[in-house]
Amino acid sequence: MKNIINVAQLAKRFGTTDVLNGIDLTIQEGEVFGFIGHNGAGKSTFINMLTGIINKSSGSFEIIGTSDQQLDDVKAKIGVMPDISNLYDHMKGIQFLRYMGKLAGDTRTKQDYIALMKDIGLEGAEKKKIKAYSFGMKKKISIAQALLGNPSLIILDEPTSGLDPESAINIRKLIVDLQQQGKTILLTSHNLDEIDKISDRVGILSDGKVKKLGTPDELKNNTSSELSVAIRTNPTLTSQKLAELSANWDFNVQFVTTKKKYVVVNVPHDNDIAKLSKELIHSGFQLFELRMEQQSLEDVFINSK
Amino acid sequence: MDTGEPEEFRGGECIMVHILWREFTDSFKSIRSILIILFLTFISYQSASFFENNPGLVEEFFSTGGAESSIYTAAISLIVLMFGFLFVFAISHDIINKEIEMRTIRLLVTKIPRWQIVIGKFIGILLFWVVTILISYVILTVISGTWHFLDYLQTILFLFYAISFVLFISTIVLKSKLTMFLGIILGISLPIVGLVSVFSDKWYMIPFKYLLPYNYMENASFSMLILLIIGIAYLLISVVIMRRRDL
Ligand SMILES: Nc1ncnc2c1ncn2[C@@H]1O[C@H](COP(=O)(O)OP(=O)(O)OP(=O)(O)O)[C@@H](O)[C@H]1O
Ligand SMILES: [Mg+2]
Repeated sequence: MKNIINVAQLAKRFGTTDVLNGIDLTIQEGEVFGFIGHNGAGKSTFINMLTGIINKSSGSFEIIGTSDQQLDDVKAKIGVMPDISNLYDHMKGIQFLRYMGKLAGDTRTKQDYIALMKDIGLEGAEKKKIKAYSFGMKKKISIAQALLGNPSLIILDEPTSGLDPESAINIRKLIVDLQQQGKTILLTSHNLDEIDKISDRVGILSDGKVKKLGTPDELKNNTSSELSVAIRTNPTLTSQKLAELSANWDFNVQFVTTKKKYVVVNVPHDNDIAKLSKELIHSGFQLFELRMEQQSLEDVFINSK
Repeated sequence: MDTGEPEEFRGGECIMVHILWREFTDSFKSIRSILIILFLTFISYQSASFFENNPGLVEEFFSTGGAESSIYTAAISLIVLMFGFLFVFAISHDIINKEIEMRTIRLLVTKIPRWQIVIGKFIGILLFWVVTILISYVILTVISGTWHFLDYLQTILFLFYAISFVLFISTIVLKSKLTMFLGIILGISLPIVGLVSVFSDKWYMIPFKYLLPYNYMENASFSMLILLIIGIAYLLISVVIMRRRDL
């Protein structure tokens, strides 16, 4: 696979604060890459450097085979939705898109623009002034303008934040569609479920560095080698009782937490789960439920701090 | 307004033509610019009619050595000299900083090179003035019977300078409220300072003499090219500043 973005030791400092200090990252052609990190981690700063909104402090990057010094040459192939940008409020939706389309070298007809607005969930808002759009509608039209001019790389900074669930699902579908058309997508989001679902690879940004990098599954499996099990019993198992009982067991059980009626424990191996259930029943507990706790990207995220 | 854009420029290189065209058409849409156009047109018409109805005055002017053309265009030339900066500021003081304030500039810089944004906007505004002044000159031509090309060129060169200066101010001062205020101050003071500096020999007036356009306006000569050069310098500095800026 070809690299479409190649970042080496890219750094940004605002005044005396180092926001990013040495990002190394490659993004491959055709993948959906999800970038996560807490508020102020520097995701937008990173994206803004890649897209020519702000200047780098040091380091370098290559994008679509072109060095950052020649970024102007490839702007036509990159579609961008920046984190904050106002739209031209006085324009009507369709007029705005046609203007953006011209700047992006788009050749579609007026009918195609109307179709695009429909696809993005803005049917009927074509003739409305952007001033009168709701937050979510503005978000949608910002996404739409990033798709103009048939870019091969699409960079979206929090495309679904603030959208209603249905619209967010539509945008996720759209992203998957775009990937199937062969496009590369770099996006950020605070919705970790979303990132988990649609990203081929994920990067976690923290302390100005890419702290973790991999497929969602790799990240989830890497966090701990232990298996998490949630148990629901009658009477309800307490941590105290568990400690008492497990003292006599020939395998390790580690209490993690209680969640409502469940007790979550960690065990090292698969067969310990079988042993655990046997021992609990043996000790007079009625075992109602025993299920594997999936590591979520959220756990990975929390642990990466 | 989204009709009439030239279709043949849809290549990567000439994308700035769309910025230019939008700036040009938007310029006509404000009340301020319509008032300015009406005002200039009215003055040209009135002054030309006045001289047309008083041929004695024209002959007298002639016999004292004046060129015929200058008397018809005197009014409009004078108004542009005195109010040109004010007018250009009024219409375009926020040409750059408004987009930075609103962050709409981000939609532009991710699509086209920054120099094309600056230059595209400049040419759009220049074109607005070329057309506006042309309207006045067409009226003058119809009434006086001659086309006063050199006077037209001189007025446009003055405006070329004024527009690049205003664009420069809008690039270095990032608050549009401030440039509106500055525009009024500079629009009034620049002509005064400029004209005084032409006739003054005080040392502190020298920079104004050579940096402001008034010294180069006395006659339609080669020195008017200096206006072009200073104007281009303002534009280049603006482009450099824009390229370095985080938006
Ligand atoms: N123009 C600027 N001047 C000074 N500091 C800035 C500027 N832009 C961003 N920062 C700082 O850089 C840091 C990273 O900001 P950035 O917007 O990249 O974070 P983020 O990861 O996108 O956060 P969020 O999830 O809230 O969008 C923050 O501490 C912010 O205050
Ligand atoms: Mg952000």
